[in-house]
Amino acid sequence: MFEELLDNYLRFLGSLTVGHFIRLFWFYIFFEFMRYFLLEFFVLNLWKLSKLWSKKKYAQAKKEFHFEFPLVSIIIPGKNEGKHLFKLIQSLNEQTYKNTEIIVVDDGSDDDTPVIGRDLERAGLIDVFIRNEVRGGKASGANTALRFTKGKYIVHLDADCSYDRDAIEKIIIPFYLDKDVAGVGGNVMVRNYEESLVTTLQAIEYYDTISIGRVVTSYLGIYRIISGAFGAFRADALEQVKGWDIGPGLDGDITVKLRKLGYKIKFEQEAVCLTSVPNTIKKLTRQRLRWDKSLIRFRIRKHKDVLIPNQAFNFLNFFAFLENITYNLVLNFKWYFYLSDMLINYRSMLVNILITNVLLYTVTNFFKFVVYSLYRARTNASYTYFLIYIPCMVFYFGYYLRVVRTIAYIQEFFFKQSYKDPWNPPKTSVHAQRMKL
Amino acid sequence: MAPELKINKEDSIIEFAGFTFLHINVMDNLSVEKVQFHSAVILEGNDRAFIRQIVRRIRSHNSADIYLKPVFILKGINISDPMVNKLIDGTLYSLEQIELIIPEVERILTKTKDLHFTNSISFEAQMIEKTISFMYTCEISDLEPIPYIYSSNNYSYPILSVNFRQRDEHIALDILDIAEREGIFSSTYVDRIYMCPSCQGGHLTYREVCPKCGSSNSTTEDIIHHFPCAYVGPLSDFTNEIDDQLDCPKCNKRLRHIGVDYDKPSVLHECKACDHKFQDFNVKAKCLSCNTDNLVEQLKGREIRKYSLTKKGELAAINGFVSTSKDIEEIIGTVKFDTFITMLKYEIERLRQTEGASNLCAIHLSNPSQIYSKMGSEVQKVLLKDLVKVIRSNIRSSDIISFQSSSTIILSMNEIPQRIAKRILKEIIDMLKRLIATTFKDIEVEFEYEVIKLDYKLSPQLHIQQLTKAFG
Repeated sequence: MFEELLDNYLRFLGSLTVGHFIRLFWFYIFFEFMRYFLLEFFVLNLWKLSKLWSKKKYAQAKKEFHFEFPLVSIIIPGKNEGKHLFKLIQSLNEQTYKNTEIIVVDDGSDDDTPVIGRDLERAGLIDVFIRNEVRGGKASGANTALRFTKGKYIVHLDADCSYDRDAIEKIIIPFYLDKDVAGVGGNVMVRNYEESLVTTLQAIEYYDTISIGRVVTSYLGIYRIISGAFGAFRADALEQVKGWDIGPGLDGDITVKLRKLGYKIKFEQEAVCLTSVPNTIKKLTRQRLRWDKSLIRFRIRKHKDVLIPNQAFNFLNFFAFLENITYNLVLNFKWYFYLSDMLINYRSMLVNILITNVLLYTVTNFFKFVVYSLYRARTNASYTYFLIYIPCMVFYFGYYLRVVRTIAYIQEFFFKQSYKDPWNPPKTSVHAQRMKL
Repeated sequence: MAPELKINKEDSIIEFAGFTFLHINVMDNLSVEKVQFHSAVILEGNDRAFIRQIVRRIRSHNSADIYLKPVFILKGINISDPMVNKLIDGTLYSLEQIELIIPEVERILTKTKDLHFTNSISFEAQMIEKTISFMYTCEISDLEPIPYIYSSNNYSYPILSVNFRQRDEHIALDILDIAEREGIFSSTYVDRIYMCPSCQGGHLTYREVCPKCGSSNSTTEDIIHHFPCAYVGPLSDFTNEIDDQLDCPKCNKRLRHIGVDYDKPSVLHECKACDHKFQDFNVKAKCLSCNTDNLVEQLKGREIRKYSLTKKGELAAINGFVSTSKDIEEIIGTVKFDTFITMLKYEIERLRQTEGASNLCAIHLSNPSQIYSKMGSEVQKVLLKDLVKVIRSNIRSSDIISFQSSSTIILSMNEIPQRIAKRILKEIIDMLKRLIATTFKDIEVEFEYEVIKLDYKLSPQLHIQQLTKAFG
């Protein structure tokens, strides 16, 4: 059986001409390989070179930052996060940059969070602890914290994360490199990568889409989401946009709001944060459904004006949106088109086409993982640990995430499911839906 | 025939039915020592402060001949001070009523005769003895705390607390604890008080303060969460000055209905002193005595209890009280006070025959409660031993030292002129002051001293009374 399959496959490979190859694997060649390898690789090299050229500029910015020594307000909103607080505060107290204030907002927790928070405040480990008796949602939690800040820069953190000793320092320096920068996203890595296959695959995904992918989009000026786990903002810019709007997807939303005002958004690869990711497929699916719905809700619905040429039109914002919509939404459905194309026109060769696709993606993934290690600041685990899991990435990225994304888009596009997400209290979601936010 | 009331206005003495009453109505030049020569005291005056001061001076005196004497008030005014009311034995509305108080005076004086005193040199033991002997003579079985605004603890045990200055009244609680441990009292819970850890004062003012700078000067505002746009801010952000409505500063929408489009999840306090914004105040208790600002968690809590005299306590009142834990045994280089009195008697006899010049001296610690409250009984013992050592090295070996009480040292200086005795005593006092200044750095000791020449016409007891009358 296997021998027959192998023999059949080798004969298929032998019969392939260039034109035939392009016809059968056009999706991989023109979209995936071009965008996620060639373009990425090209931009990465440009970025690396520019980094070398601007070494002096970076040192000067660092010096300027230390000379000014501004107050940095660290805000940590959350519900039932008390159990993570002590560890988080420990990692913040270890920071190389010391002029910080820590503000924790307990958004209607029903566990021991208020007691833990008050204790930490009394012990002087956090500066302000705010308790909201009634849950208002992540955005209102962050906005409450914002109200208590005094710093020139605001760093938004998630309570279940921990941070490199120099993370705060590294995330603030980009503001001194370019005065138009209003937001900087930190590099998020997976802390619990060994916990299950699901977490290991997410760790590889984060290395690729965050550590590398965001370097590329940031360099091209189309970086569009500052992760809620680790992001820094200029306080005056946040004041201009009046803080966060209702989620889910508020991280991407605030980034767009800042970009619309003409501010630049940067990614800082060396500002590292470790986070715990969902450890089961069920939890991961729930998380990704929530994340993916925000593309429809915020890009297609709330901020559709970015795509319309008007007085406030900005080419980079337009391009960022277009790239996002093209590669996530259009290509997601285009993949189904490719699948149908193969099914209709090359049904007899379908198995061989699928095997070749898997091999092409796997080889690319291996190549990218190894070669891109030269462009990553660091990893929190050995590269070799992940190598044996790379073949799984085709199925994780190419099939699992694609299906989840498709479901999310349909749910949001036709049923506006994000407004019913219990992640946000219904009392606020009902208004967001009515006001098309 | 009814007894006659004799009033000697010049000497302020009233005589009736064989009893003499010291009639006090002017405070100037009043010597409380006169009280011991009379059966009882009648106080007259319209000044509440005057009445309170005289009663306190009598009841806080060290001599049982004074502090146990019955005291009555000839009422010109209404005495509302609960402390004074607990320390007097009755009131008269006119001197014609004096007949009515005779049985009370008689009873107290008779009961006083039952008492024996041990002259313990432990301060605590002395205070216990004083309290229980007063309770015995006045037939009081319970020592009840009274809420009292002039007490630093806010509660006072008048009979005991009268011996302390206001700021030292907490010592009364320690003494009552000791007495209970000794089995003199049994107690029941009444209340709990909180005291300043620095000065033990109970006059505290509780304030909500800024957790950062401790200032109590702050403003408070409700925080509003506007649901549609997630804006969160204080009420003032939303206040519309034109029509008194609430408008969201982020999305300009009007706030209509609490719980539907907005709510108030918390409050915002802003410190006027340091601009710190916070949600939870710290509660601090400022001591009105020493001005220390304490976190409430740091306050010292103490129970206020009602004490009842036990059978053992009654016997101790009659036979004299010797503490098993707090009494200090005889100090080397001194003799017991009884022995001292006997030797003094012999010296007076000797002078009668030789007509020599001998002196009786006294050194008195003016602030014993303040000193002993700061040290345990061991340190107390060390202090007394050191004092005796210094005195002994400056007088001749034939001279004798004794403790009349824990605060009064009596010594004889025989066969030297009074002026030389005075000079020696002054030098001793200077040395004692230096010794204490170097050994006990945070304790301030005040000394008084007196020297009298022995007069063979007077008894040893009269000599002692004359010697110590100035010490109050």
